[in-house]
Amino acid sequence: MAVEVYAAAENDDKIHSDVLTKARESCYKARDAFYSCIEKQCDKKPTEIASVGLLYPKECKKSRDQFVNQCRSSWVKHFDRQYCQNKRAQQRLLDDKGSRRGPLSLPHAFKSTP
Amino acid sequence: MVSGPIIGGPFTLISKEKQTVTERNFLGNWVLLYFGYTSSPDIGPEQVQLMARAIDILESKQNLKVLPVFVTIDPQRDTPSQLRAYLEGLTGPVAAIRQMAQEYRVYFKKVEEDGGDYLVDSSHNMYLLNPNMEDVRCFGVEYNAEQLSEAIWKELNKKPS
Repeated sequence: MAVEVYAAAENDDKIHSDVLTKARESCYKARDAFYSCIEKQCDKKPTEIASVGLLYPKECKKSRDQFVNQCRSSWVKHFDRQYCQNKRAQQRLLDDKGSRRGPLSLPHAFKSTP
Repeated sequence: MVSGPIIGGPFTLISKEKQTVTERNFLGNWVLLYFGYTSSPDIGPEQVQLMARAIDILESKQNLKVLPVFVTIDPQRDTPSQLRAYLEGLTGPVAAIRQMAQEYRVYFKKVEEDGGDYLVDSSHNMYLLNPNMEDVRCFGVEYNAEQLSEAIWKELNKKPS
């Protein structure tokens, strides 16, 4: 079965170079620059639409365009989704911290005795 | 932790040198199987190089031979040429098949289809097989080369049950 699949492949020699190391590095660099921009411009109103519900300020349009140019669209969506998930996780941590009233106090039974 | 044989049966694969590879090529050797695909956004060639480094460490420090095998879960796009380019510098047989992933019960499926582009969601990446082709251990991607080589060394030194 496997042999037939490969015999039939017409573009067997076509290489997707955008997933190899050099292109990956350019993509990751552009990605990181875009998300840094969002962090830096966090006081600006996010009016532009990225993907998967992520919005960003127009001040980051240039870095967004770079990011979209350097990376596959499925990767862009994947990274945007990851970014949103991380943001939500960070926010939950901050929210939890706010509701804590001090150090945890354990019952005496947990104190170790030699 | 996975224990016991999970290999489904004999298999036939195409290596990056376009040669036929079967389970007979692996019998008698310890094998480190890596299931992945070249279009993964998070995991690139450097992760696979890490596997190769772990194997080099084992060979130079412990004089142990472990065969690294990259199996793609995206045979549609990962042709032998693609795998060759992606794995430049990594020696060892490379295979591209969906059948093998199923027999190893590696869960995977296409997600986010966008024209011809898509991602592949998958379960654990690395399996260590003993010379009888039984899987003894699986590894996640959090190991570095030294940790991975140590973990493999531990398995190789376990007394057979």
